[in-house]
Amino acid sequence: MSVPWISITLASLVVGTVATFLAGRSARWVALATSIVFLIEIGLMFWGYSWPGLLNGIPQFAYSETHAWISIGWLNINYTVGVDGISLVLILLTGILQIATVLYSWKEEKRPNAWFGLVLLTCLGCFGVFVALDILFFFLFWEAVLVPMFFIIGYWGGPNRRYAAIKFFVYTHVASVVMLVGLLALAFYSHAASLDFSSVYAAEPALAGVVPAFLFVALFFGFGVKFPIVPFHTWLPDAHVEAPTGGSVLLAGLLLKLGGYGLIRWGIEVIPNGFHTDQPILFVIAFVSIVWGSVLSLSQRDLKRMVAYSSINHMGIVLLAIALNSELGLVAALFLMFAHGIVSALLFMTAGSTHDIFRTRDIPSIGGAASVTPRLATAMMIGSLASLGLPALISFPAEFTALLATWQALAYWVLIPLIVLVVTAGFYIWMMQRLLFGPTKGIPNSVHDIASLEVVAMGILIAVTVLFGVLPNLLVHWIVMSPVGVWPL
Amino acid sequence: MNFWVSLDQWAFLVPLLPALAFVIIGALGERLSKLEHGGWLAVLFSAGSMVLGFLIAIGEMLGPGTYVDVRYTWFSIPPSSTGFRDGFSLVMGTLVDPISALMLIVVTLVGFVVMLYSIGYMHRDTGLPRYYAILSLFLTAMLGVVLADNLLMFFLFWELVGVCSYFLIGFYYAKPSAASAAKEAFIVTRVGDVLFLAGIFIYFAMYASADPSWAASGFLFTKGNAAFLPLGQGVNPTLLTIAGIFLLAGAAGKSAQFPLDAWLPDAMEGPTTVSALIHAATMVAAGVYLLVIGSLFLGFTSTDQLAIVAVGGFTTIWAASMACVHTDIKRVIAYSTVSQLGYMVLAVGAGFAMVGLFHLYTHAMFKALLFLAAGSVIHAVTTQDLFKMGGLRKKMRYTAFAFLAGAFALSGIPPFGGFWSKDDILSSVYSQLGTHPEYWPFYLMALATVFLTAYYIFRVYFLAFEGPSSREPGLSEHAHESPWVMRVPMLVLAGMAIVAGLLVFIPPFATLFNPTLTSPAFPVALPLNVPPSYPLVDIELSALSVALAVGGILVAWWLWGNGRLASMPRSAPARWMRETLLQRYYVKAAYDWIGGVGVYSIARASDFVDRFVIDGTVRGFERSFAGISQRMRKIQTGVVSDYAAYVITGLIAVFVIVLFVAPWLVSRLGGG
Amino acid sequence: MTSLSIVGFVGLSTALLAISTFGILTRRNFILLLISIEIGMNAAILDFLYFAAFPTGSHYFDGLQGQSIAIVLIGLAATEVAVGLAIVLALNRLKGSINVAEASSLRE
Repeated sequence: MSVPWISITLASLVVGTVATFLAGRSARWVALATSIVFLIEIGLMFWGYSWPGLLNGIPQFAYSETHAWISIGWLNINYTVGVDGISLVLILLTGILQIATVLYSWKEEKRPNAWFGLVLLTCLGCFGVFVALDILFFFLFWEAVLVPMFFIIGYWGGPNRRYAAIKFFVYTHVASVVMLVGLLALAFYSHAASLDFSSVYAAEPALAGVVPAFLFVALFFGFGVKFPIVPFHTWLPDAHVEAPTGGSVLLAGLLLKLGGYGLIRWGIEVIPNGFHTDQPILFVIAFVSIVWGSVLSLSQRDLKRMVAYSSINHMGIVLLAIALNSELGLVAALFLMFAHGIVSALLFMTAGSTHDIFRTRDIPSIGGAASVTPRLATAMMIGSLASLGLPALISFPAEFTALLATWQALAYWVLIPLIVLVVTAGFYIWMMQRLLFGPTKGIPNSVHDIASLEVVAMGILIAVTVLFGVLPNLLVHWIVMSPVGVWPL
Repeated sequence: MNFWVSLDQWAFLVPLLPALAFVIIGALGERLSKLEHGGWLAVLFSAGSMVLGFLIAIGEMLGPGTYVDVRYTWFSIPPSSTGFRDGFSLVMGTLVDPISALMLIVVTLVGFVVMLYSIGYMHRDTGLPRYYAILSLFLTAMLGVVLADNLLMFFLFWELVGVCSYFLIGFYYAKPSAASAAKEAFIVTRVGDVLFLAGIFIYFAMYASADPSWAASGFLFTKGNAAFLPLGQGVNPTLLTIAGIFLLAGAAGKSAQFPLDAWLPDAMEGPTTVSALIHAATMVAAGVYLLVIGSLFLGFTSTDQLAIVAVGGFTTIWAASMACVHTDIKRVIAYSTVSQLGYMVLAVGAGFAMVGLFHLYTHAMFKALLFLAAGSVIHAVTTQDLFKMGGLRKKMRYTAFAFLAGAFALSGIPPFGGFWSKDDILSSVYSQLGTHPEYWPFYLMALATVFLTAYYIFRVYFLAFEGPSSREPGLSEHAHESPWVMRVPMLVLAGMAIVAGLLVFIPPFATLFNPTLTSPAFPVALPLNVPPSYPLVDIELSALSVALAVGGILVAWWLWGNGRLASMPRSAPARWMRETLLQRYYVKAAYDWIGGVGVYSIARASDFVDRFVIDGTVRGFERSFAGISQRMRKIQTGVVSDYAAYVITGLIAVFVIVLFVAPWLVSRLGGG
Repeated sequence: MTSLSIVGFVGLSTALLAISTFGILTRRNFILLLISIEIGMNAAILDFLYFAAFPTGSHYFDGLQGQSIAIVLIGLAATEVAVGLAIVLALNRLKGSINVAEASSLRE
């Protein structure tokens, strides 16, 4: 039996989180130590990773552990965890964003122990979602992410934070409940031996008639709100605008990925039959999200709102790539989720710093920022260019392969996301023209460029952006060590 | 011999050297102030790149036909039973063939001289590390395009070219016009780029379906042998046509062809050195190079060809007409670039890819020269308005000589470089008129443009260099010749402008224009691989074009020579014509309207829908729930007995339902 | 003993439950309310004991199970009364009355 890396990592995260809550003034150091330990553990996980392949047609997981938790005849709930290439890249994303967030918000003075504790708790929840292979534990971690984020927005947020926090919580919670009902119904209707992924996976073909299609709709709604899909997206701009910078980073970088991961792991992989029936719905929603997110970004004045809507656009491409039901599309979707996690985190950091420095995020009221804050301007330019898909930065390989897969599956429909790429370029370039270039305008008297710790945080993200943009195979190598070869389902 | 061939595997260093300069200058920044803020470093690395590029090109001349393909797997998915049978991979690779060897010469030479010239020209500016870093990256990007052995890498560096030009055009970012021009350049070329991307997808799908193992090899077009094209049979001509049109759109965006031409004249907001690089060797050349690649390795149908010919032919006269009235020295040269690129596109479209490439090569030399000379003038008199200059020949003799050499080359006067290539295009297209009468109008446009070209460029020459010493007091008096770092590049290019066309009479050099390419089996047989026909096949045709050019020079002299200033045309139609030309046929205004009013209005309207319809529905739910609960809370009296009553009523209701209602319902519905 | 029918016992506990319910619904005095709840509780305890004493073989609560649950319930009732009386004392101290209608401040 191999080392139970996942349990060890979970335990270290729990200990670190609790210690951070209790640590008082030195919470930031505890949080940093926890993040570093987490990264080391992720590194070890990558080091020893090899995908066990299929067993009786069921995808297996590395580092998998199963311990019975509740076992009463017909109801078997196990503590089952494991990783494969699909979750591994997202775990890496969690580790990177955790340390970047901790470093970026190093100077947080408002109840630092609670702040850092909640940040760690959010990452803990995300890690749990990515490793949990049991419906109940998956749901537990899924909900565990909501609570700290609710407090992060509601306590550290902007002027309208109460409204945004409650909207975020209610919206996503309703979705989670629908998702839970769908997952439990899936397990019970198919008479799965337990709530484990592999049991449900094996039992799914027993579902008959329209049942899988309905279950898939329930799951898709649950995961889709997290994506977010149009028209269930309006919580996102509000939450982002009110959230503190660290909260926005985690929200855009990690929370949106939960939806994508859930859709792949618990939606498509376990109910392929329902997915096939509902595929057209997914396509329509993906196209609408792509167009809507991009067009809406163009009209935003608030920097954070603009980036938030661009997230809807990018996650629309992720949804499209997932919905294509092809191996290339799936790999592209995972890569794009990773890329979007890094890039949107970088953009929200720059937006937050813009607010700190210029005391506003209103794009038209600031001008010529590049000449007074060159470091911030550089980070913002790199983030924007990465987001609009510039080659040699991280999004390009992902978008290229996603659109290639789209062409293979849908032919000329690919022109919709392609033409939207022009609009995406348009709003970023226009934002840069107004905010960074031109004569200086709306600059407060005492302006300081971003502080060195913020530079470090953004530098980590920029380094990742360039590294995987130039050498994408470093990431793809891990993604494909997973059941992607099983696709199309 | 072996040594020359083995050089090919080091070709990746050619783009890597300027990339290294980018990294070093970008990292060290202002700490390099002793080295002209990184300028000398950039010169050094581009010189290294040029030396290696020339060696590789010489190797190609001496030993053509041997190609070394160096590849790195960039993105790979292993084979699977359900997905890609042979796996899927994207690669980065360099491959040197005669075409890329020729481009290596052009790009590295122009890149190096522009870099050197910048040392003098940009000396007084601030933000120089940024300038040199991005200029180096620009060179890297273009060299990557040139050496790419597959479409993906081609596109990757192609986009990189675009973004570098964005930063360089917007170098003076504090100027609103510069920031706006940079944005325009990026977005207009982006329109072409996404269509190009669609074209790439179509080619991928066609080839991958013709040969499943193709997906595993990564978009490769192995130049120099036919392994690339398993086509010939089963190709859908409609699909091929559409892919070709998309490719043309991409090329039109980058090479500023009608209707995506508006950005290039505005790109003059960047430093003149950047204009020289963009117009001669890097950015706009990429578009024509793409068409050359497309016509040699991917294949165009006859519909595509007609479209390309139409775009190219029309652009020649479209841009040249605007060049005739503008008074900004850089803008006139910019329109001239658009017009000359039209010639290249015309040639490629008519099936003479190598002839187009020949003009690309001569044009790069004399256009870079014209820009550098114009830059030298601007450097001296600090204005770009032609009507304020004058009599500069006496004060700036080197510059005047250089400009004159460039102007003769552009006009197509023998034996200057431009004559050979332009004449070759005209006679090549003429030779196709028999089988393709639909080319006639575009051929005539190109012919008329010869006259216009000579007219506008000599108008510039007479206004700036001849006549009285100054039309604007105090402007030209202090003008003096530029320092050596600016003179040497001009002289090098002036020499090239004179001999560039003659060089092709030297056999080893000529091999670059005559690659031994196996013509792939296309649905339509095309004269794809025709080397330039320097022997003047059609002496009458050459005489006609030279006569047109001389006529243009004479008209320019008659109107503007000897310090004359042609007065405004009196008649109303002419005035209207002039205004239309100055307003650039109102195309720019139309684009601004589409972007600023059209698209933005849609975005605002969508925002309204989002806020008040979609989010309004959400708020509606919120409000109705709040309303319901307001009413419901009235039953919360707070009295325990009331709650107890509710509990008991509820319990009784449950009993009644379970014991009586449910069994009744089940029996009625016939269930078990 | 064996001649006795279960019906009578069940009737007794049903009557107790009815009394208890009536008391809960009509009394406003906290102590009387508690007594009513206790009566209802005892009705349930009695039921458990009858079913334990008259095993049918088909019930879940035959034999020892029923008796054990009855004992647990007695304990529960005791705790409940303890908590209830504590509330009564607190209420009396706060409002000067043990009328439950007075204790309605949770409404707002």
